[in-house]
Amino acid sequence: MDIRKAMEERILFCDGGMGSLLQAKGLKPGELPGIWNITHPEALVEIHREYLEAGADIVTTNTFGVDGLKYNGQTGYSVEEVVRAAVRNGREAIRQSGKEAYIALDIGPTGKLLKPLGDLGFEDAVRLFGQVAAIGADEGADLVLIETMSDSYEAKAAVLGAKENCGLPVFVTVTFDEKGKLLTGGSPASVVAMLEGLGVDALGMNCGLGPMQMKGILKEVLALSSVPVIVNPNAGLPRSENGKTVYDIDEDTFASLMGEIARMGARVVGGCCGTTPGHIRRTVKACQGIEPVPVHKKGRTVVSSFAQAVVIGRDPVIIGERINPTGKPKFKQALREHNLEYILQEGAAQQDHGAHVLDVNVGLPEIDEPSMMEEVVRELQSIIDLPLQIDTSDLDAMERAMRVYNGKPLINSVNGKEESMRGVFPLVKKYGGVVVALALDEDGIPETADGRLKIAEKIYQRAAEYGIGAEDIVVDALCMTISSDSKGAVTTLEAVRRVRDELGGKTILGVSNISFGLPVRENINAAFFAMALQNGLSAAIINPNSDGMMRVYRSFRALWALDENCGDYIQAYAPEAAKKKAEAAAERRGNTGGPGSACPETAAAAGPDAPTGSALAAGIERGLKEQAARAVRELLSARDPMEVINQEMIPALDRVGKGFEAGTVFLPQLLMSAEAAKAAFEIVRESLQASGGEQEKKGEVILATVKGDIHDIGKNIVKVLLENYGYEVLDLGKDVPPEKIVGLAVERQVRLVGLSALMTTTVPSMEKTIALLRQKAPWAKAMVGGAVLTKEYADSMGADCYCRDAMASVNYAEEIFKGQ
Amino acid sequence: MDKMEQWFGTGEGFPWEEKEILRYLGHRGQEIPENVKQLIGECQRELENAAAARSVCAEYPLAIQDHVIDMGVLQTKSRNLEKNLRDCGRILIFGATLGSRVDVLLKRYGQLSVSRAVVLQAASAAMLETYCDYCNEAWREEYQKKGWYLRPRFSPGYGDFPLECQKEIFAVLELSKRIGVTLTDSLLMAPSKSVTAVIGLSKKPGTCSVQGCEACGKISCEYRR
Repeated sequence: MDIRKAMEERILFCDGGMGSLLQAKGLKPGELPGIWNITHPEALVEIHREYLEAGADIVTTNTFGVDGLKYNGQTGYSVEEVVRAAVRNGREAIRQSGKEAYIALDIGPTGKLLKPLGDLGFEDAVRLFGQVAAIGADEGADLVLIETMSDSYEAKAAVLGAKENCGLPVFVTVTFDEKGKLLTGGSPASVVAMLEGLGVDALGMNCGLGPMQMKGILKEVLALSSVPVIVNPNAGLPRSENGKTVYDIDEDTFASLMGEIARMGARVVGGCCGTTPGHIRRTVKACQGIEPVPVHKKGRTVVSSFAQAVVIGRDPVIIGERINPTGKPKFKQALREHNLEYILQEGAAQQDHGAHVLDVNVGLPEIDEPSMMEEVVRELQSIIDLPLQIDTSDLDAMERAMRVYNGKPLINSVNGKEESMRGVFPLVKKYGGVVVALALDEDGIPETADGRLKIAEKIYQRAAEYGIGAEDIVVDALCMTISSDSKGAVTTLEAVRRVRDELGGKTILGVSNISFGLPVRENINAAFFAMALQNGLSAAIINPNSDGMMRVYRSFRALWALDENCGDYIQAYAPEAAKKKAEAAAERRGNTGGPGSACPETAAAAGPDAPTGSALAAGIERGLKEQAARAVRELLSARDPMEVINQEMIPALDRVGKGFEAGTVFLPQLLMSAEAAKAAFEIVRESLQASGGEQEKKGEVILATVKGDIHDIGKNIVKVLLENYGYEVLDLGKDVPPEKIVGLAVERQVRLVGLSALMTTTVPSMEKTIALLRQKAPWAKAMVGGAVLTKEYADSMGADCYCRDAMASVNYAEEIFKGQ
Repeated sequence: MDKMEQWFGTGEGFPWEEKEILRYLGHRGQEIPENVKQLIGECQRELENAAAARSVCAEYPLAIQDHVIDMGVLQTKSRNLEKNLRDCGRILIFGATLGSRVDVLLKRYGQLSVSRAVVLQAASAAMLETYCDYCNEAWREEYQKKGWYLRPRFSPGYGDFPLECQKEIFAVLELSKRIGVTLTDSLLMAPSKSVTAVIGLSKKPGTCSVQGCEACGKISCEYRR
């Protein structure tokens, strides 16, 4: 019987621990256990058989950690030999036991962290897992059990690897800590959302904790999961006794807790580290007669990031709309120049202002949208823990983004056109996601709410045919601007309300379209937003940096009893109230901000001992971003931009740099100054551009952290300083192969290359890069820096300059580019 | 160390050693402006939230013969370590980490604000050391009851203790599975705010109390105390 069918009928039992049993049979510490499948098949068959005789329905192959990284030819056995032998051992044990049982092909983590946190590429991980799955399936495994995953991203790679290489059922268990978190920070809610989205057949937890500690987490998982839940705990919490690991509970206690776990609703139970056939025998007995708890569809609409889940439901969700080039010349320029920093800034600012999800749209005719989309999603998810909304009409871009996304994304969008549904739904089915369904089809946008509901119904129905539930659809009833259609808002609001009331669906709107073509659009947007929320809008795509819109949102939640004790509202606006009160009090006293004022920034600038007499220079020297920005704006109204740069800003930067070299200024100050200068430079640049000019660049400098090294802080420090001094920095990032660095130097005839390395182990990469540079780009100078480097070391590898700190790199660049 | 326990429970009030943060920032007694102080404080709060400190430790036999240090699961040669392990009969091998969320923070501000990234870098380094000290103190108390004294911890890469030993340490302690620390192909640890080390156990009270920087042979290091 197919295990999925069996799981519907009764509680199934997994086996227990493997490692300690193998050690008891003579496996040495440090020896690769997988090899025993070939060298000691009788030992494996015996262990599997003992578990079967104890009552296990599932034997797990001895393939934990067997992958092409560890079995790379040096072990004497290939992945293929080991996996095939392991499955055969399972089959032989089943034959000997005479029972009907299932062989679970065990897939454990690689032991590597995925990029960008570690050095294993996502697609490399998919390939490693896929290889094992393909071999195991071919040898006759009945299911794939992906287990002990403590990083959701690696779990995703494993599921894709399994599903793309075999048709077997896929079970996944992850390892939570005592706080209910994955090692990389995921929660039960984010894990369940992602795994269900990927279409696993069962999910749950193993290892890390004993059954006692798992109960609380299990309760949470059971409340969220629409698929059967697996629980394979350790034999309690471990402690070391005379160099041996022992567990804090005995077999009977374990079994009775497992009985409780089955009664709570777990449908597959077994054990992990420290558990033995004895534990499983008693567990099977303890579970006898327990009526399996039926598995219900939960119908939750939920998206997730690596760390958190966002539920789309009664409490409205804010989706930040700013990562979108439409109507934003600066954003377009950033995309063309491949300026990801700008995009990340937009993302971080929206998070700070209260967005729950970030829309990501990078569509621009002249760029390669699929590559850009993939890259932006990778970068955003590595620094921001909000779920993303992948916003594109390019199916290739959509798929690439969904594939690399670490979680369950929102997808924007599908519509009622057959072609659209045919393209988008298979992707949603494969990778998981909640998809925005636009209420339009081949005949355009219906004028009435009735028409839009009909399209929504059609989309729900077609989605169901692909196996996508209604909970994974949010309907966009579409906003038509009221300046061209006076009934636009009325129709949209009716449709929003009726999707909720008549179809039981969730809704989403790009709110600001409503005011297109009208003056002071914020007025209309805010009022319409409040009306839409009142009519049941579940998610709003807005600009969270807009104070007016967030006021509506927070007020609505307070009024609609969604904000307990108005806590969020008070937290957001109490500081504003306090500030106003203080200002009013100050005004009554006639205090207008002279010496002794509460505002240190202005006091510093206006005070008698401001070091240069210029507010701009003071702002830069003291590292006060806002003051520097304000001051430069004032100066630019009266003076020439280049004059401001050369007479005010550069001298200020020089003074800070000299202070740093002399030891009177320390590193954080230097960098805060650099950032204040950078903010001021932005403004000067805008002013120059507005008058058709441009700040002349002194030259191009390549910066990179060398291959093998994943530390980039030093390189980033150098970058910000060089940019302030007018250099165009070509930042290649970290872990950069020599060929890439030298290739760029040749392509752009770059005269200066800065290389950073932090570890002795990565210094040889630096040496290689310099050697290649000498060969292919003899005109280029190489400056090097990093914690382990010394002048002697730098000289010995042929570097032109050893930079002991960031200022040294600026000084060297000035020397190289002087007088050109 | 009640404060440490409190931080484990609440995510607030980590027992910071401010001086260490400043040392990592290259502070040499300069006046610290208000906005830098504020930045340091903000970084401390962010780290208290993001860090998830975990450690794992196991005890092994130790024998030293002909300059080969044999810990049962790992054999190596290192004059510095040999000196550190004089009179020791057993050894603790341990790994500790602040977790990957700290790296997410470091990456975030590496892109968005390098001054904040630098302070986070320094504060997280100090945080990790304080956490290791806390762990060591607990083991010291435990072993003292059994008549063992702990030597200062010594990490691969200190002096001439080969970094290559990381491979064995990672394998025997199952660091990736148990605390989520992995080793890159170039032997860097990921998450970056992680430590592995060995601690000698001796029946003789500490003849050598040199610890951290002072125990290291690399006298040219910029961060040396």
